[in-house]
Amino acid sequence: MKIQKKKTKPSLPDIILPEKLVLFLRNPMGVLGLTLVLLIIISAVFAPLFATHNPFTMDIANRLAGPSFDNFLGTDQLGRDTYTRVLYGGRVALQVAAIGVSVSLVVGLTLGMIAGYGPLWLDNMLLLLFDAIRSFPTIVLALAAVALLGPSLSLVMTIVIITSIPGYARLARTSTLSIKNTEFILAEQSLGASMKRVLAIHIMPNVIGPLLILAAMDVPVVVTIEAGLSFLGLGVQPPTASWGTILNEGYLIIRTTPWIVIAGGIPLILTTLGFTFLGESLRDVFDPRLRKGK
Amino acid sequence: MTKLLDVKNLNVDFRTPLGRVHALRDINFSITKGKIVGIVGESGSGKSTVIWTITQLLAQNAIIKSGTANFNGMDLLKADKDTIRGIRGEKISMVFQDPMTSQAPVLTYGEQMNDIMYRKNKLSRQEKREKAIAMMRRVGIPDPESRIDQYPHQFSGGMRQRAGIAMSMLVEPSLLIADEPTTALDVTMEAQIIHLIRELQKETDTTIMVVSHNLGLIAELCDEVIIMYAGEILESGKIQEIYSNPSHPYTQALLACDPARENKKTRTLSVIPGDIPDLHVKPKGCVFVSRCELAVQNCHIERPKNHQISSSNHFAKCHLLDPKSTQAQTPTNPKKVTKTKVNSERFSHKDEIHLLNVKNIQVRFPIMTKLKAKLKGINKPYVDAVFNASLTLERGETLGLVGESGSGKTTLGRAILGLVRAKSGSVEYNGLDLCQLTSREFKPLRRNMSMMFQDPIGSLSPRQTVRSLMIEPFKIHGIDKNFDEEAKRLCDTVRLPENFLSRYPHELSGGQARRVGVARALALNPEFIIADEPTAGLDVSVQGEILNLMNDLQDEHGIAYLVISHNLPVVRHISDKLAIMYLGRLIETGDSAKIFDKPAHPYTEALVNGIPQPDPKKRRKLLSIEGEIPSLTNRPPGCEFHTRCKYVQKKCKFDPPSIKTLSDGREVLCHFPLEI
Repeated sequence: MKIQKKKTKPSLPDIILPEKLVLFLRNPMGVLGLTLVLLIIISAVFAPLFATHNPFTMDIANRLAGPSFDNFLGTDQLGRDTYTRVLYGGRVALQVAAIGVSVSLVVGLTLGMIAGYGPLWLDNMLLLLFDAIRSFPTIVLALAAVALLGPSLSLVMTIVIITSIPGYARLARTSTLSIKNTEFILAEQSLGASMKRVLAIHIMPNVIGPLLILAAMDVPVVVTIEAGLSFLGLGVQPPTASWGTILNEGYLIIRTTPWIVIAGGIPLILTTLGFTFLGESLRDVFDPRLRKGK
Repeated sequence: MTKLLDVKNLNVDFRTPLGRVHALRDINFSITKGKIVGIVGESGSGKSTVIWTITQLLAQNAIIKSGTANFNGMDLLKADKDTIRGIRGEKISMVFQDPMTSQAPVLTYGEQMNDIMYRKNKLSRQEKREKAIAMMRRVGIPDPESRIDQYPHQFSGGMRQRAGIAMSMLVEPSLLIADEPTTALDVTMEAQIIHLIRELQKETDTTIMVVSHNLGLIAELCDEVIIMYAGEILESGKIQEIYSNPSHPYTQALLACDPARENKKTRTLSVIPGDIPDLHVKPKGCVFVSRCELAVQNCHIERPKNHQISSSNHFAKCHLLDPKSTQAQTPTNPKKVTKTKVNSERFSHKDEIHLLNVKNIQVRFPIMTKLKAKLKGINKPYVDAVFNASLTLERGETLGLVGESGSGKTTLGRAILGLVRAKSGSVEYNGLDLCQLTSREFKPLRRNMSMMFQDPIGSLSPRQTVRSLMIEPFKIHGIDKNFDEEAKRLCDTVRLPENFLSRYPHELSGGQARRVGVARALALNPEFIIADEPTAGLDVSVQGEILNLMNDLQDEHGIAYLVISHNLPVVRHISDKLAIMYLGRLIETGDSAKIFDKPAHPYTEALVNGIPQPDPKKRRKLLSIEGEIPSLTNRPPGCEFHTRCKYVQKKCKFDPPSIKTLSDGREVLCHFPLEI
């Protein structure tokens, strides 16, 4: 047979991955984003290693101290080391982001695919549900919930999850609708494949790409929501360190000791920039259609 | 005989992430004024790249390494942007393959044509409009005064292509480039467009360059032809000479592959084995060497030169034609690559029960909701895509289902497999009515039937490897087997190398993807396969391989095929029986050879005569069929074909015909079947 003589190309992972990786690494924004994200994750995960103090140890004598070799970012009004508290605050932020984004991604993806692939009445019902949830402003919803149930970290996460599900679900639904009538899905149906199988094996891999990119870009949003709620005193409760509570504590004394606000604000800015850059360059690499004209 | 366009020594590369692709190499050709020149080649041969290069419309990553394109004394490749824009609008114009996507959907034809003439400052708006109307009338658009204010979506496919030709002829270009002008159209429309282009050429003496992969179209239309392969011109010359005396082995093989050349049911077709070479590497010897039957040592090492053959401008690029060469010999027609099957014992035991018996099946699609229809006062808010179609299929038999696009043939195929719900009628499989089953009851039966879909690559799940695609039928039906062995066995059956198992669909060529599709259809040893356009999207040289494979498998396993196609030459080769569809009705069914020999329905006759013959001596003088397929929402009264029928009589206009059985067993839906 003639065809057999043809030299075989290396299989997909050998070719595609390095190519995508090269494309990604060539993008300075992407590399910067990745570096920032890694920096933040490492500093949060290994916070006890990098910390110079105990985050809860008070040192009233040394309160509101400026940056020094002993306290890199000074101390707050209770004399706690701000640098250490910022590191520990990152743990809270990333915990909320990781759990919040992944749960809402999974639930949103599942519901979205069912809405897109399933019968029309189910689609309409789910859409109504998504739109109803989306119509609540996140912060106002959180305020109402806290007023009813009292502030806590798990409540913050629940609010984050509920409000971000519709975004993922809508995207998953549209992508599912666009491939629902393609020939390969029809081919699976003609083989007698069940709905579960079609969704899990044939539709999911094709719709998850854009969703993951959206998720990466959603992380800073979730982090800001958590910081915002904590700032308002509705999220993480003292004495637990959070970027939001640090900001809140610093905000009261911003005129005399501005570095506490700066110390709480910079990680927020870096997280937002890092994840946004990362998300955008991932999108450019994996979904070139969305790229702006070069 | 002046040269209008003279391309010399053209070399074009593309930069890609995987290295440079040497897309065009040493292209030399010239186009004489007032001629129709065809460029023929398989996909990937670089024929479109030639056009984009001379019109400077190449993608950003292209590099023109060398070459000149002399057009009326000016080098097109060196012209600056404004000059080339002037030339593109004024001197060179184009007709595109897909009129659907090449016309602005938000502008009326009047506005689009006005825009095209924007360089003609002397004309007033009114004069331009009159000119546009005159041109639209010329290309055969009825009632142009009112239709000029319509939008492209209000035109049918054929009309849109006519309008496209009108737009390109409007500026009175000296060179008209037509890129696959009929590929998106049906056979009957194709014949009309060929006729139109020929007439316009005669009238205006425009020079036309036609790019196509369709040898029949080129033979019907062109005076001269250029054969391209993998970015090089292999042969060029007058059409009669090339078709009667093809000199390059590739040309010979290509002509031999065209199913329209053979008028008999052969069951095996010629093929050119192998694939087009990878153009990342500059070929050392002849580009065709890897697929050439006659290759000698020298072909691998040395680049062949252009050799003149017999007359003035017939050239071919092949070592075998070198008179000085020691191996000097005229390449003879290559042997038929596939052996004819001796074992033609077909599984034709006539059972009492048909394998498949479709009775009066009707498929209805709603076009608006009931409420909306009530409000709008429309009492038929649906279209009948298939209307009372009946057919039977026996074991080991091939039934060809033929019709223009929109005739409902694909819907009928899907309705048989229960992918589309039938409104009424029954599909009996071994005496069991499939329409009455729930999807759970249907599932075990799906092992015995499978379907091949139109788009070879698009019908494979893109994120699955070939291996998992092939073993999927077993998994779905819960059959526990050694999956590795099964995958290997299937690869073997469809003659696909085993190392392809780890590939993904987008890494396959059309032919290879089609093989995977066949393997999936075959996995559970089905009794019948519905093949929807099995050769669509495949090159001529590959379609033979697929058809031969299907045929061999039929011989081995006794599979019955229902082949859905608009490609009559292909259907003629493989079918035992034929069913012709028009507007959702079967208008003629019966023995394939008899139908091709003497069609009984006027529509069948028109279709059979509409096949473009790859022989420039057999050009058709008359059009076989006028007009277009009517809309399904507005079926003509009486016989639905009467609006286009050559033999129409009074009775046809009011009285719907019923099915007549002819003396030889054929069934025809016509008041006045043609003499047989």
